[in-house]
Amino acid sequence: MHQFAQDLRYGARLLVKAPAFTAVALLALALGIGATTAIFSVVDTVLLKPLPFRDPERLLVVWEKNPSQNRYKLFVAPVNFQAWRKASRSVEQMAAFQENLHINLTGGPNGHIDPEELKAERVSANLFPLLGVQAVVGRTFRTEEDQPGHANFVLLSHSLWQRRFAGDPSIAGKAIRLRDQPYVVVGVLPAGFSVMESGVDVFIPLGLNPNDARSANGRFLTVIARRGGTLEQVRGELEGVGAQMERAMPALDQGWRPSIFVLEDELVGGVRQALWVLMAAVGCLLLMACVNVANLLLARVPTRRKEFALRAALGASRGRIVTQLLSESTLLSLGGGLLGMLLATAAVKLLAYAGPASVPRLAQATVDFRLLSFALAVSIFTGILFGIVPALRDSGTSLSAALNEGGRGGTAGRSGRALRNALVVSEMALAVIVLIGAGLLMRSFVRLRSVDPGFQPAGVLTARVPLSGGRNSAVDRRVAFFQQLTARVATLPGVRVVGAVNGVPLSGLGLGSPFAVEGRPAPSAEQRPTAVLRSVTPAYFQTMAIPLVAGRALTDSDNRQGPPVVLVNQTLARRFWPGASPIGGRIAIDQNAGRVAEIVGVVGDVKPERIDGEDWPTIYNPYAQVPASTMTLTVRTAGPPMALASALVREVHLLDPDQPVAEVRPMEEVVDRAVANARFNTLLLGVFAGVAFLLAAVGIYGVTSYDVTERTNEIGIRMALGAQPGDVLKLILGQGARLAVYGIVAGLLGAAALTRLMGAMLYGVNPTDGWTFAAISILLAIVALAASYLPSRRAMALDPVTALRHQ
Amino acid sequence: MIRLRNVEKFYEGGYGRSYVLRRVNVDIKEGEFVTIMGNSGAGKSTLLSILGMLDGAWTGEFEFLDQMVHRMKPKDRVELNKKYIGFVFQSYHLIDNLTVYENLDIPLSYRNVKSSERAAMVCDALDRFHIVGKRDLYPSQLSGGQQQLVAVARAVIANPKLILADEPTGNLHSSQGKEIRELFKKLNGEGTTIVQVTHSLENSTYSDRVIQLADGWVVSGGSDPASTEPRP
Repeated sequence: MHQFAQDLRYGARLLVKAPAFTAVALLALALGIGATTAIFSVVDTVLLKPLPFRDPERLLVVWEKNPSQNRYKLFVAPVNFQAWRKASRSVEQMAAFQENLHINLTGGPNGHIDPEELKAERVSANLFPLLGVQAVVGRTFRTEEDQPGHANFVLLSHSLWQRRFAGDPSIAGKAIRLRDQPYVVVGVLPAGFSVMESGVDVFIPLGLNPNDARSANGRFLTVIARRGGTLEQVRGELEGVGAQMERAMPALDQGWRPSIFVLEDELVGGVRQALWVLMAAVGCLLLMACVNVANLLLARVPTRRKEFALRAALGASRGRIVTQLLSESTLLSLGGGLLGMLLATAAVKLLAYAGPASVPRLAQATVDFRLLSFALAVSIFTGILFGIVPALRDSGTSLSAALNEGGRGGTAGRSGRALRNALVVSEMALAVIVLIGAGLLMRSFVRLRSVDPGFQPAGVLTARVPLSGGRNSAVDRRVAFFQQLTARVATLPGVRVVGAVNGVPLSGLGLGSPFAVEGRPAPSAEQRPTAVLRSVTPAYFQTMAIPLVAGRALTDSDNRQGPPVVLVNQTLARRFWPGASPIGGRIAIDQNAGRVAEIVGVVGDVKPERIDGEDWPTIYNPYAQVPASTMTLTVRTAGPPMALASALVREVHLLDPDQPVAEVRPMEEVVDRAVANARFNTLLLGVFAGVAFLLAAVGIYGVTSYDVTERTNEIGIRMALGAQPGDVLKLILGQGARLAVYGIVAGLLGAAALTRLMGAMLYGVNPTDGWTFAAISILLAIVALAASYLPSRRAMALDPVTALRHQ
Repeated sequence: MIRLRNVEKFYEGGYGRSYVLRRVNVDIKEGEFVTIMGNSGAGKSTLLSILGMLDGAWTGEFEFLDQMVHRMKPKDRVELNKKYIGFVFQSYHLIDNLTVYENLDIPLSYRNVKSSERAAMVCDALDRFHIVGKRDLYPSQLSGGQQQLVAVARAVIANPKLILADEPTGNLHSSQGKEIRELFKKLNGEGTTIVQVTHSLENSTYSDRVIQLADGWVVSGGSDPASTEPRP
């Protein structure tokens, strides 16, 4: 024990005496271990840990599909949900919910409360027993509470309970006001509970009414099923039910079928590939870190070799030498591991905080100590393999051989150098792969950001004003409220134009509806076209700078007294009036109770959902004719948009102090969020690429620098034989360049094979994009030359007489 | 061929200058075989480095083949080295990771000789020194004598006018040493000027003249006694 402590002390002293070696080794290990642990922790939480539900592998999500319209994941019509639930035998339980709802909180258990728009879901009562989720306070819904007309019950999310009700343990049974009506709180759900959508504040009963044909036939449900039989059995059975429904309700179901997926795939499928790519990148980093440490250790072998020969000559056993080496190596690895753990903890916290909301369960990620141990073990193994084994291999050689080796006349040996060169080549290759991956994502991101969304987000402030359920929700009141509100906001200093829409671009498809062109033969139900529906005030297009392409803009006289009119976007115009003007054409919109309206103008396309998504046919109704319950104000400002935020909220509250205002944010933030995933992937891989770049540069510098030291004698000989400084430069630089070329070529081949896996993460960039491949190769070649140049300068400045005497 | 006048080499130390060579005056004629002898620290190797243009930090005058070396830039001195001088070292100083063939090729590669000519010259040297069979071996695969043979072959491959040898037989056993000594004698006989540094009296017997150094001073043999030039 005493001996081991002595070895540790000696090891620590050696590390302190070689600060450059220690710093580079610790940094490389910390970066490798830290990055790998952080990303694996995320992968583990998001992809590998089972969902926090009972038998998660048996949970399915069922959508509806319409292959003839190329749609495979659409919401489910309640009537179909009920038919599937009744007929299916291979499904143990089937529950449904409606997501993406908003409900205004207007009163707490003790009366007045600051109003807030809450994110809500309507859920069938059996959802919680199906998932095996129990309330932490109170209970979940009973079947009798999930009835139309008797559904004023609510379950709170854990975070809302903490945030708005101070974690009141006796909240169950108390009433709060939602949509201006009393709702009884039945319980509080566990922290972090979510099914498909995260951040939901309240859950209310679904209360489906099978007798209400309008609500039963709309498509708005997400269906969760717990299978009893196999996935194939469920698919076969529901397919049969779907065929029956098609015959029974052709108007609704012709061409429609159930579409079944495993819940876990649905939740993480979108991010799985990105996470595995990141995992592969950090795997490369860990390897590179180990290669760097290996190289540093190998470089120390010749000097240590003499020391061990001497120790052996003085009576040290092989075991004693191994213990000493082990203590040194362990000290280094533990130091790197400790730093890596700190780095990983900070990185995971940062990822959980700043990662995109679309990565499920990211917020719950914590450092995974299993992987930390694994990474630590890898680094210790590296230390043993490259620090101890070579030294030991030589400790068996004779003392005189070891002492004489490297004596007068000894130039660098071939085998050690070949191994170090091979390591640097592999390190360069790994760096090329990581850098090309990052380069592709960056190019893709730039392409994504340069996509014209169809509007100008700069200088626009948006604010959602949900009127549903409140005192402003009556149709007449809505129009008046918004007329007053827009008029008041327009008078604020710094406001240029004020508009409103029931769904800003890039915030989701929102409401859609089948429609028909009047005077043309009606297509079959399955062929009936669908368009995105928007309600807008006349100034909306001006605030968003969406161009009017043909016809006229909407005006204040397009109100309920005026004839029904609509604007359509270019995509709709092109598709249904190819080569002709749609102005004067009339369309019947199912969702607006078959309202038939005349097209008076065509406006430019805007991206409704994703910046890299398709342009959907869109119909713009005048708000005064089709008033939506929730509108978003769009305010074009003269100065920074957020400077007007508080004034805008104040104007809303001056009209109605209980009216919530949500998502007060600049339109640029909406655009930013639309590319958040891509930015997150690009940023992370970019950081890893930076680290890889650094490790590669340090690696090639370290090897070249060591090479110069090792070849000092050879350089002296060459100078004595007539080499000019330029010849020495060529010799050393050439060595670095050769390694770089081998590494780059190997890396390019590896990248060409691996980047194909990134296809789905890229937009507008080929996975084997020649420009990126060339740019990264040139960049790394320059770095390799620069890293070799510094030691080359040292070599050129060598005094030949001293160099010839170098031992 | 070589004329040194008042050549001095010193290091600045805490207690003033520490001299390695002092007022060295040496004359060596073309075709001579000269031995430099002296105790350790006498300045023998330093003098050889100055003669070989490897050391540029000295004072005094150095004339080599009628060229004023002391007025030359370092680059031009290297050119003189390349053109006229070959080196042989005590510890051979072959490059371990190059084969015998490649080691012989190095001096030619620095003299911008065409590769076809280089190949012919290397083959000639291999033939001349009877080491054709060793051409693809690495230095570590040769005995000390064979390594020194390669080192001598490398020194003469570019046909230098002057060979500078630093303890050429210091690491060799007697029979190998004899072989090298006779080789030098033969080269000298063919017209090459040879300056060797040695502790060995036996080695010195092969030379025409011995320059004796002691504590940096030339104590004897600085000039050929037959020379008419008066000693300073």
